[in-house]
Amino acid sequence: MFDRWMDNSMSKSPWIFHINAGSCNGCDIELVSVLTPRYDAERLGFRLTGTPRQADIVVVSGPITLQTRDRLVRTLAQVPEPYVVVSLGSCPRSGNVFKGSYSIDGPLEKWTHVDVSVGGCTPKPEAIVAALAKAAELLAEKRKEMRR
Amino acid sequence: MLPYLKQALGNLFRAPSTEAFPKGEPPAAAPGYRGRLVYHPDRCINCGLCLRVCAPQCMERTVEKLENGDQRVTFTFDMTSCTFCGMCADFCTQHSITLSEDYMIVGTQPEDFLVTGTFIKKAPPPRPKLTPEQIAAQKAKVEAAKRAKEAAAKAAAEGAKADG
Repeated sequence: MFDRWMDNSMSKSPWIFHINAGSCNGCDIELVSVLTPRYDAERLGFRLTGTPRQADIVVVSGPITLQTRDRLVRTLAQVPEPYVVVSLGSCPRSGNVFKGSYSIDGPLEKWTHVDVSVGGCTPKPEAIVAALAKAAELLAEKRKEMRR
Repeated sequence: MLPYLKQALGNLFRAPSTEAFPKGEPPAAAPGYRGRLVYHPDRCINCGLCLRVCAPQCMERTVEKLENGDQRVTFTFDMTSCTFCGMCADFCTQHSITLSEDYMIVGTQPEDFLVTGTFIKKAPPPRPKLTPEQIAAQKAKVEAAKRAKEAAAKAAAEGAKADG
């Protein structure tokens, strides 16, 4: 019963950790604007956290550059299971205009599982909110599966 | 003090500025917003200009030859690769690519982000078979036209000489 109570509570406050893997800052700004009063993702329980050890949802933006690759992998290894990875914008899934560059080592699928993706360059905050809501659903499902 | 009180009291009855989005419908994008690509295969002529101008190379074309000489052309646009610059739409002479105002590009599978379209490009009609007489007649016609042109040029040159 305690587990169920915990799961129910945790599904209402999924914490976000944001990794910038060489992004141009466009997606990062939009993600921050999601937390402003106008879009207010915090009313749904989302909260930016400063450490991957407290994260439930990992938001990755940017094509995976050689400089950020090792840091990305190391950071993702510190996130406790279960966690959901959200790819923000076109870059993490394909490299966008940086496709084929010598300094890109993407896509993100190569390094981790990608559960929810948002397209757009940059995506609108509403699309990010929708993706986060979807990620929270998936997270609750994953947690339930882990309990089994 | 009074203006602040007015504002404070007014705020009690004002609607919140927060968008209610995940509960209701998403608000419309600004006019001219470049969102999800829309492809109209019935207008496309397979010129391939979009493939040339696409900076992130988000589109793919497959051409399949059919038995009767026609071609089945399939265009696939990957929305997780697109930068939404709108160059393809600008360069499309037939307006078969347009960018819609749909910005909800959210999904869990790679297939959720693909925009595809297929059309059949008709082969040109076969060349008519000519008899040797018809070919000879056509050749003579061309020769006659050539000769007439040469004669006209000669006459003009002589005329210019006489004038000079």
